[in-house]
Amino acid sequence: MSEIKPNTNLLLLGVNHTTAPVEVRERLAIPAARLADATRTLAHQPGVREALILSTCNRVELLAVYESASASEPSPIAIRFLQDYLNVGVADIQPHVYQYRELEAIRHLFRVASSLDSMVVGEAQILGQVKQSWSVAREVGAIRSTDAFSSTLDPLLQRAFSVAKRVRTETRIGSTSVSIASVAAELARKIFGSLAGKTVLIVGAGKMSDLTARHLIEQGATTLLVSNRTQSRAEAIADALRTPAITTGVLPFEQLHDQAHRADVIITSTGAAASGESAQLFTTANARALLRSRRNRPVFFIDIAVPRDVEAAVNEVEGCFVYDIDDLQQVAVVNQASRSREAEAAESIVSSEAARYAGRLAQAPATESIKQLLQNAEAVRQSELARTAARLASQPLSPEQLAAVDALTQSLTSKLLHAQLTALRESAAGTTAASSPESTGNPSTEIG
Amino acid sequence: MSLLWLRVAVLLYGVAALAVLPAALYNQPRWRHVAFPAALAGAFFHFVALAETLSAAHHALPVDTHETLSLLGLLLAAAFVILTLSYRTVSFGIFLLPVVVLLTLVPAFHPGHETLLYIHSGWLFLHIGLLLAAYAALFLSLIASLLYLVQERRLKRKLTTSKRTWIPPLETLDQIALKALLFGFPCMTVGLLIGSVIALETIGPAFFADPKVLLSFAMWIAYSLMIFIRRHSGLRGRRAVYLSSFVFLVVLAVWAANQLSVVHRFKAP
Repeated sequence: MSEIKPNTNLLLLGVNHTTAPVEVRERLAIPAARLADATRTLAHQPGVREALILSTCNRVELLAVYESASASEPSPIAIRFLQDYLNVGVADIQPHVYQYRELEAIRHLFRVASSLDSMVVGEAQILGQVKQSWSVAREVGAIRSTDAFSSTLDPLLQRAFSVAKRVRTETRIGSTSVSIASVAAELARKIFGSLAGKTVLIVGAGKMSDLTARHLIEQGATTLLVSNRTQSRAEAIADALRTPAITTGVLPFEQLHDQAHRADVIITSTGAAASGESAQLFTTANARALLRSRRNRPVFFIDIAVPRDVEAAVNEVEGCFVYDIDDLQQVAVVNQASRSREAEAAESIVSSEAARYAGRLAQAPATESIKQLLQNAEAVRQSELARTAARLASQPLSPEQLAAVDALTQSLTSKLLHAQLTALRESAAGTTAASSPESTGNPSTEIG
Repeated sequence: MSLLWLRVAVLLYGVAALAVLPAALYNQPRWRHVAFPAALAGAFFHFVALAETLSAAHHALPVDTHETLSLLGLLLAAAFVILTLSYRTVSFGIFLLPVVVLLTLVPAFHPGHETLLYIHSGWLFLHIGLLLAAYAALFLSLIASLLYLVQERRLKRKLTTSKRTWIPPLETLDQIALKALLFGFPCMTVGLLIGSVIALETIGPAFFADPKVLLSFAMWIAYSLMIFIRRHSGLRGRRAVYLSSFVFLVVLAVWAANQLSVVHRFKAP
């Protein structure tokens, strides 16, 4: 474990999707409504100077800065907080908890904010969640403002946001999506750009079509139509997907071909051919008629039924785009490979940024000491000059003589302080070198 | 001095034309921060050069082939800037910026040897400016239609991954193509009307027997037909590209006809 600065005492402790099963994460999850209270409580623990809690469906992490006096026992305090606040037994959580200190805590935070530690690497949601936690911590006073007080977490979090932005700008980690549903949503964006105001039609029922529709709604689709052989089932699906932001409706199955032109994206999952029906649900003739009604506006078929609901030749009709489950899977596989390559580049950015930030942290006390020393010396020099001027009041020095004395005292002060200043600078540089990634050992410590 | 600013503009356009390649084709966002400001600065210096030329000629516009091409270059650069700001895509720069560089390179480094015709009439300046804007809009529409075709083909052949590509979405391209035409049409109509009125006053009805003038009206009819068809049948894709290409060819013919016309020339008689 590296120690960058003996009096920084930065600790990050938590569980995530790789260390804890969902049953444990569920017990530790802190709902948004309780986040402010939990953060305040953590910040009031003995020895805690600043604190932040990040709680998402994939992780619960506590980030804290401790006073020097309590440096030896920060992790038990954090564990105890989890135990007391969430009423969870220490034995239940300890095997799943990881902790990082100093440089490694900084590095982990940068990785989390940059979505390198996410289940779906590169997803953008996590940065918003970190920002939300930071905002809550500031509101409850668990993180001090950088301007008003000497804060460690505020500049660190702001740096984490910059690093995340840099990772997104300099790599393409955020530009690929990997799940079938998100691939379908991304492809829809390639056709329609923004999905705002678009209509999605679900034909049939199924988890995948449901999930795809949800992704399209998240991307801005505002109208959802459902058509199913069983009217009540269609109504149930429409009800389940209804939110205040979208309009839902049910299309009678027998009117499907007459009404399908209302939809920009059609998700089919009936598997009609499997149920013994001879014809597929959408044929080339249906597609041509549909396009005529839409005045050639493009339509996107997402066919996740096996066997397929949409005739393959429909893709040849100008303005119709058909992706079946295999097509979507193929895109997802390509994206996963591409994302891994980008992740390597992103990891390199995060490591160098973490080392640089840790270096700046390590030099901060030396800079402060140097500043203080120079200020003291200057105060002594000014006071001596004033005393000498008072003594010579009867025979005042000429301006040229005053300038010469001033230069002489400045030169003397600089020479006298040189050795001390050099020692301070060298000491800070030595600490930075010691905290560089090459000199660190195991990045994490599993407790328990 | 105006030549100096024009050369600075060409240099900046060149930088933008190069930077836009990694920005769009390799999806390198940092190059966007070079391409767009360079193009914007280029357009600014180009405008300064044009303003200085006008000022030096006592508010008369020196008109020759090079100067006109340079003005067309400025309009295309402005189109790139507007597109980037409106649709957050620099992809059009791949096509627009090299054309801008070519259109301004010759006037900047090899100024015309034609005897300049100095135009003092603001109406004539408006006639030229509006028609050039219509040409620029048509060129933009053609590029958008071609990109539509490429993107459509990629999606149909399942060549695309779900990551961002340099080609904007189909609906965006369709919007750009149509909006460019809708912007260009009034420009062309008013530009031709102003030209006709000036011609009637200066040359008389004989002007309308000129092949260049006749071609210009044919171009207007083709342009308006294209808009009508696109708007009323929702024409997209391959057929839209054919139509745009046809009208673009007519425009090129109209441009080339300047060399044949006796009454409508850039050179002084």
